[in-house]
Amino acid sequence: MIAIQHDPFDIGALYRRLSDGCHGTGAVVSFVGRVRDFNESPEVTALTLEHYPGMTERALENVVERARQRWQINDVIVVHRIGYMTPGDDIVAVLVSTVHRQAAFEACAFIMDFLKTSAPFWKKEHTSSGAYWVSERESDLASLKRWEQ
Amino acid sequence: MTLTHLNERGEASMVDVSDKQNSHREAVATGRIVMQPETLKLLADGDMPKGDVLATARIAGIQAAKRTHELIPLCHALMLSKVSVDFELDTVEHCVRVRAFCRLEGRTGVEMEALTAVSVACLTLYDMCKAVDRGMEIMEVRLDHKSGGRSGVWQRQEASSAADSHAVLDARASDGPAVTEETPIEIRFFAELRERLGVEKLSVLPGHLSSPTLMAVKEWIKSQVDAPQALDQARLLCAVNHDMVQGDVAVNPGDEVAFFPPVTGG
Repeated sequence: MIAIQHDPFDIGALYRRLSDGCHGTGAVVSFVGRVRDFNESPEVTALTLEHYPGMTERALENVVERARQRWQINDVIVVHRIGYMTPGDDIVAVLVSTVHRQAAFEACAFIMDFLKTSAPFWKKEHTSSGAYWVSERESDLASLKRWEQ
Repeated sequence: MTLTHLNERGEASMVDVSDKQNSHREAVATGRIVMQPETLKLLADGDMPKGDVLATARIAGIQAAKRTHELIPLCHALMLSKVSVDFELDTVEHCVRVRAFCRLEGRTGVEMEALTAVSVACLTLYDMCKAVDRGMEIMEVRLDHKSGGRSGVWQRQEASSAADSHAVLDARASDGPAVTEETPIEIRFFAELRERLGVEKLSVLPGHLSSPTLMAVKEWIKSQVDAPQALDQARLLCAVNHDMVQGDVAVNPGDEVAFFPPVTGG
């Protein structure tokens, strides 16, 4: 399941959706990305997330498909929120279920790494002294290197 | 959308247009005059009592575009760089379709000029043909497309109907200066780039590009916006039909092209 939504998600409900009744699943790895109160500026009060409708869904489907080709995956859930969020809010959830844990850990990291560098989302951070668009991080681009085969 | 009368802190701010660059502005308006089939035939055959109807109506439309400011109270006088008025004889719906195209480099749009050109061309057609047909009706005078300026491109969205497909078929079949039915290329901007350009969407007819390529689309955008340098940043990403592309690629009618900064989701 891939979802882009304004509403908050319930990670417990996503976990149950992924794993309930799946007796061949031996491992579930989940990642949740959250809004921090510091980033490029020390006092982030909120952020707004923009996306490119149509292309974002397609980019996420591509990333999930590439992960499926690389690891034996039983199921994947990717939920990404858009709109206005404040520190402590969840932004993104990626859950991967597999037979054994190693594949689940790796596939979850793989999906997040490519989501961050190829899915068209943009963050704007709001602080008490104004708002700015978040810049890309070199470390995000560098972390793709480990997936080069 | 950004409000042009608010600054970054949300305070009211007066827009100073003296720094506003002249942009390349275009407008297309259309209309039609419906008549008896016999009237249309006389017109097509050049047998009207007053002579060459279409040539006269074309000149009337062009002259009218140039004098729009004299007719419409709050219109600026514009130095139009191009005005064209074309006709298409539609024997299915027995009407003459009129299309006017206006272009200028300036600080104000040319929609009124295009609409005036269509209106006066239609009135002239009426005048030239009224001796044989007083029941003619001037209909559907409207703006079809405009580009340039802060509000960017506006394109009439049309539910495809039988009448439209007739128009397309007829345009292909007619010998005269046919209306080219081109599908525009849609252009989208996101995040910081959208804010710097002050525009979210543009659309361009493929015929207005120097070549059917992404680079030509970019050059065209630069001619339309107030902050063309925003498109020169090194890390600008581009997608065609929702797929990321690198370098120059071909762009086809109906494609959706998007420009945006590096992505920062997750």
